[in-house]
Amino acid sequence: MAAVNIDKIRFEELMKGELPVLVDFWAPWCGYCRRIGPAYDKVVEQYAGRVEVVKVNVDEEPDLAAQQKIEVLPTLVLYRGGEALGSIVAPGSKAAIDAFLQEKLGL
Amino acid sequence: MANKIYDMIIIGGGPGGYTAALYAARAGLSTLVVEKLSAGGQMALTEQIDNYPGFEQGVDGFTLGERMQQGAERFGAVTELAEVLAVDLAASPKVVYTSEGDFYARTVVIATGANPRHLGLPREQELTGRGVNYCAACDGMQYRGKTVVVVGGGNSAAADALLLSRVAEKVILVHRRDTLRATKVYHQPLMKAQNIEFRWNSEVVALQAESKLTGVTVKDRLTGEESLLPCDGVFVSVGRQPATELVKGQLQLDDAGYILADETTRASLPGVYAVGDVRTKQLRQVVTAVADGAVAVHSAEEYLAELN
Repeated sequence: MAAVNIDKIRFEELMKGELPVLVDFWAPWCGYCRRIGPAYDKVVEQYAGRVEVVKVNVDEEPDLAAQQKIEVLPTLVLYRGGEALGSIVAPGSKAAIDAFLQEKLGL
Repeated sequence: MANKIYDMIIIGGGPGGYTAALYAARAGLSTLVVEKLSAGGQMALTEQIDNYPGFEQGVDGFTLGERMQQGAERFGAVTELAEVLAVDLAASPKVVYTSEGDFYARTVVIATGANPRHLGLPREQELTGRGVNYCAACDGMQYRGKTVVVVGGGNSAAADALLLSRVAEKVILVHRRDTLRATKVYHQPLMKAQNIEFRWNSEVVALQAESKLTGVTVKDRLTGEESLLPCDGVFVSVGRQPATELVKGQLQLDDAGYILADETTRASLPGVYAVGDVRTKQLRQVVTAVADGAVAVHSAEEYLAELN
């Protein structure tokens, strides 16, 4: 299941939701962003119903990226109740994303 | 399925790994590829590959990797996205311990490739992604209109400097010697580029940073003099390091850490094969990795025939 790209409006909605939200801030010109794609899609599947796993294309949503202080791509930020719980930059494997979620959410 | 024993497990989904998978699956072997991220390996970060035959306009490495994966999967090869934690290559069956569980096989192909070599300077790790980079094609776009330093003098340093010169305001190439090791095709475009400066006989001895990189300290190897070079980013391009941490102590390696194996790709344990950049060889290219993958399956079939 491929991760869905969201815009600022959907981002605000998700921030008010019950579930924690994982956002991959990426851009089409970023080679490493493409590389984590298959692993990220698997994360969508694996955490379905427990974590909202989505993407933001920073070229299409520059204001949102600036507001969230995204400096390096790809950056994955985990939110709960509208607050950022933490982030990881350019994870080296799906296992690294799993470990990050487990540490922050105790899943 | 509990304790399924594959005919072949391939560790690493680059061109060598997926070619082995294609040949193995096509020969009717049950085949599993364990890849930590996505197909392609190092070439997945190469924007344009012009020396892989059959693509008259060139091809981007990520797409080529995906196609190799799909080609192997068409014949029944399976991909598991998992990080390998340990291997037991002497056991029977051989065991691959991963973040997604343990897998068993009669033969194992090591296709783990190589990674960029680091400078080995204090704070290098924590500044990675905060000014310290190892891949111009991936991270270059962040430095539009800025000043960057490229460290190294080989082909990849030359290619990185050229790529960055089209994005950055200024590129400073720092090299230990007084000439480039890069092949001749790079020399003229580098010299012609208006915004590339050279620091010959020099090495980077320290990284200057607060929360982000602000510059590098460069030492002149002839005079011993140190100077500060302010910059927004540094691209480290000082060669590669084989990814052989997993097999250390189990397979024979050469002094640089590559797995000792000849053109048959047979490593020092029976039923274990090394393909692509991780193997001792003269030329590390996509085409030679692909050739290794095919040969490894040929060697493995001989071994499996003897086993039965």
